[in-house]
Amino acid sequence: MTKYRSIWTGLLGAIAALLFLTPTALAFCGFYVAKADTSLYNEASQVIIARNGDRTVLTMANDYQGEVADFAMVVPVPTVLQEGQVNVGDPAIVQRLDDFSAPRLVEYFDPDPCEPMMMFDEAEALPAAPQATTTRGRAADGALGVTVEAQFAVGEYDIVILSAEESDGLETWLIQNGYQIPTGASELLQPYVRQGLKFFVAKVNLEEFDRTGFQQLRPLQIAYESPRFMLPIRLGMMNAQGAQDLVAYLLTPDGQVELTNYRTVKIPSNANIPSFVEAEFGEFYGTMFDRSYERENKEVAFLEYAWSMAGCDPCSADPLSPEELRQAGVFWLAPNSSIWDTNVYVTRLHVRYSRDKFPEDLMFQQTNNLEFFQGRYVMQQPFLGEATCSAGADYRRSLPTRFEQEAQTLARLTGWDINDIRRRLPDVREANFDPNPWWEDLWQRSSQLLSPVVHQG
Amino acid sequence: MLRDARDYQILFLSLFLLLGLATRDWTLKPAAIGVAIATCLLTQFIFSIIDSRWGTAAPATADLKLPATVLSPARSLPVMPGLRAVASQPLNWRSPLISALGLSLLLRVDHLPTMALAAFVAIASKFICKVEGKHFFNPANLGIIAALTLTHDAWVSPGQWGEEVWYALIFIGAGGMVLKRVGRWDTTAAFLGSYALLEAGRNLYLGWTWDVWLHRLSSGSLLLFALFMVTDPRSIPNARPARLIWALSLAGLTFILRNYFYLSTAVFWALFLLSPLTILFDRLWQSERFNWKVFAPRKPIVS
Repeated sequence: MTKYRSIWTGLLGAIAALLFLTPTALAFCGFYVAKADTSLYNEASQVIIARNGDRTVLTMANDYQGEVADFAMVVPVPTVLQEGQVNVGDPAIVQRLDDFSAPRLVEYFDPDPCEPMMMFDEAEALPAAPQATTTRGRAADGALGVTVEAQFAVGEYDIVILSAEESDGLETWLIQNGYQIPTGASELLQPYVRQGLKFFVAKVNLEEFDRTGFQQLRPLQIAYESPRFMLPIRLGMMNAQGAQDLVAYLLTPDGQVELTNYRTVKIPSNANIPSFVEAEFGEFYGTMFDRSYERENKEVAFLEYAWSMAGCDPCSADPLSPEELRQAGVFWLAPNSSIWDTNVYVTRLHVRYSRDKFPEDLMFQQTNNLEFFQGRYVMQQPFLGEATCSAGADYRRSLPTRFEQEAQTLARLTGWDINDIRRRLPDVREANFDPNPWWEDLWQRSSQLLSPVVHQG
Repeated sequence: MLRDARDYQILFLSLFLLLGLATRDWTLKPAAIGVAIATCLLTQFIFSIIDSRWGTAAPATADLKLPATVLSPARSLPVMPGLRAVASQPLNWRSPLISALGLSLLLRVDHLPTMALAAFVAIASKFICKVEGKHFFNPANLGIIAALTLTHDAWVSPGQWGEEVWYALIFIGAGGMVLKRVGRWDTTAAFLGSYALLEAGRNLYLGWTWDVWLHRLSSGSLLLFALFMVTDPRSIPNARPARLIWALSLAGLTFILRNYFYLSTAVFWALFLLSPLTILFDRLWQSERFNWKVFAPRKPIVS
């Protein structure tokens, strides 16, 4: 039918740079704390949560940009974690999931309207990659009524698991042990202490870090069993000035994950947009996200991707192998299972949260919703060759309307000036050679239509 | 003015459904609404026939299930007894429609048969789970619980209404109108009030700021539940003191299930678990049973 070619271009590093420009202070589910007063900024935090039943593996990507010696983090966790429950993951796995689930730009080419049509598909993926997670915080020292439940080293990290009776004691303990925590921490730690949560405190062992030879800190993974399916974000907002971005990849066996205490909203998708956007897709997506965020009154989580891990269409990156999925924490997958047997469903939620709009921590639930969704934007490249037939002329005439629609879609999604967009649309008029003027077509067709009638009459 | 308080309820539930479909990001398919309505009406129809055929010899309270405003014109028709019984009782379409709308608003399914199952269980329970002519499960609630437990296909989205204030105002306004006409506002007030107090206590103890409390309470789903489900006058205790105690227990159980068992569907489970208590409460506090008739007071049923 149609000579139909689809090449899709992924969302690139560009998006990372452009999408998350919001200057932010602290990280998602705890505060990263630095021992000096260094100001470190995070652009977006990334977490992977693999969950089946009450069992959870949480991977916290670490894109800390400051001095490694200053790094430390405090995260409330539901249970006491022993050494075996903490692991240092491979940073590449977060990147893989990101690439796989990132919003994508798809490109189609109009066929030559005057050529006999064939059909073939071609898909080619470019790596996609948003976000950097970094953070700033400060660290400090420690206190009273605090029990060190466990203490161990994993990879380049020194881990302490604390339980506390009162938040004041916890604050003092942290301060005494050299973590300069933000002022007012005690007040915010109190709800977690009183809910009986434990505190996972990590800092970097410099010798080990040098020995690993890695340039960056690797993600920390923790495994625990708890009916609570949540991510604490309040601590991270302690000193935050503006909004922070969090991208959560939720891996579950049965279906989509959604928030239960905030709305989960699909990001606008499947929109046809002008082809010049290709060069600035990152900027486009970033602006569109900002606009959607404003439109939803800054108080929702956006669904960017929801799909079975066994496939993708189009794929922005190769699906993760079972081995990679296990690295991402998918513990219910057998080591050598086939990629088609993976009962893993991925949900990518992008939350931009701020203190005034997100007073509560994020609570999730797994649903049985198997609907597929992806942030997908379509460039339909026009055929701009010479039109040598009447169909070609019709096609030509249809293009300005189509371009106008695409321009309006783009303006609506991004808020960009419609006249600027129009100026950048391809000009079809100069190549608008029309071998058959419209009237010629009219008479020809009329005579053809009339002739049988005349014969019959 | 509409004659029956249920007409208002139908009107408002439909309004919410349209509002939700138009402005919220729901995974609700129109076909699922169609299936819910069709199944509810059909089940009601079939069970009405069965009930009238075999239920004629049943306790004299059977008439209470019938809508009150219509007299039976077919009594003298020379038809088979079963058919005559059917003809003599116009199909009660309001209650099943309300259940269907409630299910559509609250339950999400991947496949249509699951919705049909929920709708069937909801209506069938009215005919099967009854004591002395009074059904004690809230039909839509039981349908939801059935779909959640019996299938691997259904879920409830408590977060999807969001927490905009104007929704709350619409819910309260509309719910208030219906409740005023039904006279069961006390249940809603007791439930919401005590639940808010419990959450406030927890908030105070944990030391959260008050916006956390407000956020937890201003959920559209909670209000919808409190105003349109908890208050179903046919499946809650008849006497006011009983209703108040019942509403307090409901709030308490919801609070526990939500905060200590981390159930996102806490309200539905709480209502399901406490529904059978209605029977006990009705025995302890004898009172006039609610009937959808506006003008025909009845003498107490329970002796």
